[in-house]
Amino acid sequence: MIATIVHTNELLQTIAASVIAGIGVTFLFSLGIWGAGQFTELSRGERPLAATAAALVGAVALLCVAGAVVTGIVVMTHK
Amino acid sequence: MSSDVILVIVVATALAFDFTNGFHDTANVVATSISTGAARPQVAIGFASLLNFVGAFISISVAATVAKDVVDAEVITPTIVFAGLIGAIAWNLITWYFGLPSSSSHALIGGVVGSAVAAVGFDAVIAEGLVGKVLIPAVVAPVLAFLVAGAAIGLSYRVVGRQRPGIVSRGYRYGQIVSGGLLALAHGTNDAQKTMGIITLALIANGTLGAEADPPFWVIASSATAIALGTYSGGWRIIKTTGTRIIKMDPAQGFSAQGAGAAVILASTHFGFPLSTTHVINGGVMGAGAGKRLSAVRWGVAGNIFVAWLLTLPAAAAIGGLTYGFTRIFGSGALGPVLVTLMALSLVAAAFARRAQRGAPVTAAGG
Repeated sequence: MIATIVHTNELLQTIAASVIAGIGVTFLFSLGIWGAGQFTELSRGERPLAATAAALVGAVALLCVAGAVVTGIVVMTHK
Repeated sequence: MSSDVILVIVVATALAFDFTNGFHDTANVVATSISTGAARPQVAIGFASLLNFVGAFISISVAATVAKDVVDAEVITPTIVFAGLIGAIAWNLITWYFGLPSSSSHALIGGVVGSAVAAVGFDAVIAEGLVGKVLIPAVVAPVLAFLVAGAAIGLSYRVVGRQRPGIVSRGYRYGQIVSGGLLALAHGTNDAQKTMGIITLALIANGTLGAEADPPFWVIASSATAIALGTYSGGWRIIKTTGTRIIKMDPAQGFSAQGAGAAVILASTHFGFPLSTTHVINGGVMGAGAGKRLSAVRWGVAGNIFVAWLLTLPAAAAIGGLTYGFTRIFGSGALGPVLVTLMALSLVAAAFARRAQRGAPVTAAGG
């Protein structure tokens, strides 16, 4: 009875989606900024390989952010 | 004929309600971006207005909840919906006048529940929908936004903590264009749908739509337009007060708060939970503040929000019920709603005139 009223399943999915999207996207975006920062620092220190790796990590993280945003909107529009 | 007159009044009143929702929620949506310098006020408000409009088209789950899961559409009449709307608008005006933070969404649902109970009795209320889809998410969502924003900002500081402050601030400011946009989109989709739901409920009650019908396109388009115009109009006064009323946040906190708010509102909207977007956004802002320094949070504001939250549903319900009782004095025709509309318009004009004379600041009571 209580489970029916509370809509437990939908509420738990809302909580899970909010936590994954809210924390995940912020983490990935921060990783993107970290990549850009490290790239600048390492390039100045003439460490091109490490700089490229950091830039790559940052770029992939930002692509994941873009992917997450697009996925979220697509999911919203398909119900 | 008289029911069609009432229906026209209900649609006009609902759209006016939607406009005011956008008007006083602008602060919540754009404040963080303006506060951190991520966007100029005019740009932030224009962008938020556009995305509120777009957001209204991406889902109808919340509209379905408001139209079908809170009160029994089969026993509702357009006059009941009208009285509920008046209850919500009146409570919004009272809280706006006294500067109390309140939720337009809770006022709307409270008003309709109150007028339905006054007209038909408690049998008109779908307790399962009211508790499961409105009351419980209303408690969970702001707490969730608080926790998500707090965890997100903690994680962000760990990741970028050793980077140069310049690149970090610039990065999060760019990010806020996206997170602020998502928040505006989320606001548009959840709040505009409440108006769509109310108009759809009135159309079902009038027999214009079937009991299981979804909102027609003209309802979606007009609700989207009303909330977008309200957002755009409300913004210009916010520009003057933003600098003094809003807690100073760094861009990382702004990004985390907006991201958490958008995530919670969009996820809830997907499952048809009509939230107070104001409470969720405030939860996110407080979480981002607490994640950096617990004392940065204005716990007094949180207490006021809690008290307003407790009062809003019963107060709006009481006004909705009384309004329904008053309209019935003049029979079941259009005379009662017409008289109430004229009285309400006079009161609104008087309240605005008095507020303008006193020159008091605009307060953000919201959705």
